[in-house]
Amino acid sequence: MKNKNFYIGNTIFKNPVFLASGPAGYGIEYRDLINLEKLGAVVTKTISLMPKEGNSGTRLQETEAGLLNSVGLENVGARCFFEEKFPELLNAGAKPVVSLACEGKEEYISLLEITSKQKKVEAVELNLSCPNVEEGGMAVGTDPELLRWYITKAKLILGNITVLAKLTPNVENISSLAVVSERAGADGITAINTLLGMDINLKSGGPVFDRVVAGLSGPAIMPVALRAVWEIAQVVRIPVIGVGGISSVEDSAKFFAAGAAAVQIGTAIFYDPGLPERIVDSLEV
Amino acid sequence: MTDLTMGSYETELLLSEKVSPSSFLLTLSKPDRFIDAMPGQFVSIKIGEGISPLLRRPYSIMDITKDSIVLLVRVVGKGSALLASRKKGDLIEIIGPLGGSCFELKDDLNAVFIAGGTGLAPLVFAARKWTKEKKPGELHLLYGAASSNEILADLCMRDFTEVHIATIDGSKGFNGNVVEMFQDLSERGVLPEGQLFSCGPVGMVKALLDSNAASFIDHHTSLEAVMACGVGACRGCVVPLKSKNGIEYRSVCGDGTVFRAEDIDWKRWGK
Ligand SMILES: Cc1cc2nc3c(=O)[nH]c(=O)nc-3n(C[C@H](O)[C@H](O)[C@H](O)COP(=O)(O)OP(=O)(O)OC[C@H]3O[C@@H](n4cnc5c(N)ncnc54)[C@H](O)[C@@H]3O)c2cc1C
Ligand SMILES: Cc1cc2nc3c(=O)[nH]c(=O)nc-3n(C[C@H](O)[C@H](O)[C@H](O)COP(=O)(O)O)c2cc1C
Ligand code: FES
Repeated sequence: MKNKNFYIGNTIFKNPVFLASGPAGYGIEYRDLINLEKLGAVVTKTISLMPKEGNSGTRLQETEAGLLNSVGLENVGARCFFEEKFPELLNAGAKPVVSLACEGKEEYISLLEITSKQKKVEAVELNLSCPNVEEGGMAVGTDPELLRWYITKAKLILGNITVLAKLTPNVENISSLAVVSERAGADGITAINTLLGMDINLKSGGPVFDRVVAGLSGPAIMPVALRAVWEIAQVVRIPVIGVGGISSVEDSAKFFAAGAAAVQIGTAIFYDPGLPERIVDSLEV
Repeated sequence: MTDLTMGSYETELLLSEKVSPSSFLLTLSKPDRFIDAMPGQFVSIKIGEGISPLLRRPYSIMDITKDSIVLLVRVVGKGSALLASRKKGDLIEIIGPLGGSCFELKDDLNAVFIAGGTGLAPLVFAARKWTKEKKPGELHLLYGAASSNEILADLCMRDFTEVHIATIDGSKGFNGNVVEMFQDLSERGVLPEGQLFSCGPVGMVKALLDSNAASFIDHHTSLEAVMACGVGACRGCVVPLKSKNGIEYRSVCGDGTVFRAEDIDWKRWGK
């Protein structure tokens, strides 16, 4: 893989190493530890139309080689994000990709409309792991019809803005959903979001998390992510962005070899914030 | 508080001393660019070489000297045990100083410090820093542990005007917990009027609030929470504050570690 400019949709990225959505927050919190300017892009945490306070109770639990999180999409909401956080991220020299929540349909359309009016937004990533509030709480990205609806609407309303579809691995056949996404007009596929897991507190005998299930990330999920990227890269023509458990330069090389056009680093920045830059340095010039 | 920039640094372990059956005092070399920290701030330490344990571990800064950073580490699990096994000369990666708020003493006031377990560390730092940089009034430390062999008072006898010790088993000082001792001392008029600073288990701070701590000018407490990023990004370490409009979360690492004890929604915190 080369350290050079490449396109996804209409957007040019300077290299294929991105920060994943969530762990780095709005990106700016990490500017003293990571040279954001040096990265291909910084995907922001998922932004919803209205501010969200996030989940109650325990939000983090370390596992063997992984991390369970139940942050619950806490964020400041679109208005505050575009007024305060987004300009700061641009000022820090980063190339932002804005992660958008795929919640209720009405809210989602308003969110797209607000986003389409932002002159400096070049690319978004749709977080299709958001629960489908209208139909029982399953992630919208598990249903081909809903998936198509969410992506089509984004393409329609966002015009020239590049749209990445971030898929959930908690499905039977992720590559068929990637094909649905491509047909609906997605410019790229990001795979994968966290796997569903849980933990029990032996003292109380009950679940550790108030919402029982939580999202598993980190090295433990890398084989699952790699398999997903490989399968998706076989069946779509649009770029595939690999994410899940990357914690070394070698791990990133495996994703590129499996067909990823770019990689995203999430959980690893918690223990090794220097990793994204080392991956950039490892690429051919 | 001043806007300090943190960084990621490689430090050398200069000294590791066992100070009680379960606690170690680690002295790390202070990197040139490590900006002096404030009491209540912490560092996050990369424990192992590989990915086990995965996350860094947060430790309060107990002291900063011209060329060293001092930490107090209690062995409670895998990460702390690994840290305690590191030898003089080992390299240790830290990120710091972290934390967006700190203990602050108003000029000339007296301070009463209440520590449970390793909650001692940031309070010792506060006492040392204020003695050096301010003209504090009296500094009283109330310090509780399960038993006398876990009391680390020797480390800090000279840093306070007076040190009051409580042990649950009665092996040293007051027989009972630190909050009971606090009540006893305040009823007997032993404690000076002033600001209250605490750090320790949730149960201790809650009990303090239910006692007559309200008679003090202000009660600030330094909190602990399981952390991932340590820089306010991931929203994993949040504490609920009392709020008129629903729930309001603040991150312990980015907005804390120090909060006004009354502001915390104790019904929702530390269940
Ligand atoms: C801001 C801050 C400052 C701290 N300062 C000190 C200090 O000065 N000295 C000191 O000895 N400890 C301090 N701690 C606690 C210390 O970080 C934990 O004891 C340590 O992370 C445990 O790691 P472990 O791998 O040994 O334990 P684990 O195997 O991870 O867990 C063992 C036990 O410790 C508890 N634990 C795990 N992580 C934390 C945590 N972050 N906070 C509280 N309990 C935890 C677990 O719930 C479990 O019961 C501080 C924590 C924070 C957040
Ligand atoms: C604390 C935390 C918060 C996350 N928040 C988001 C989010 O807001 N939106 C999203 O699409 N993915 C989110 N993720 C998922 C990551 O972007 C990534 O897909 C997943 O963690 C796998 O990659 P990793 O193992 O490198 O972390 C989050 C992950 C973590 C650990
Ligand atoms: S640990 Fe990430 S916000 Fe505090």
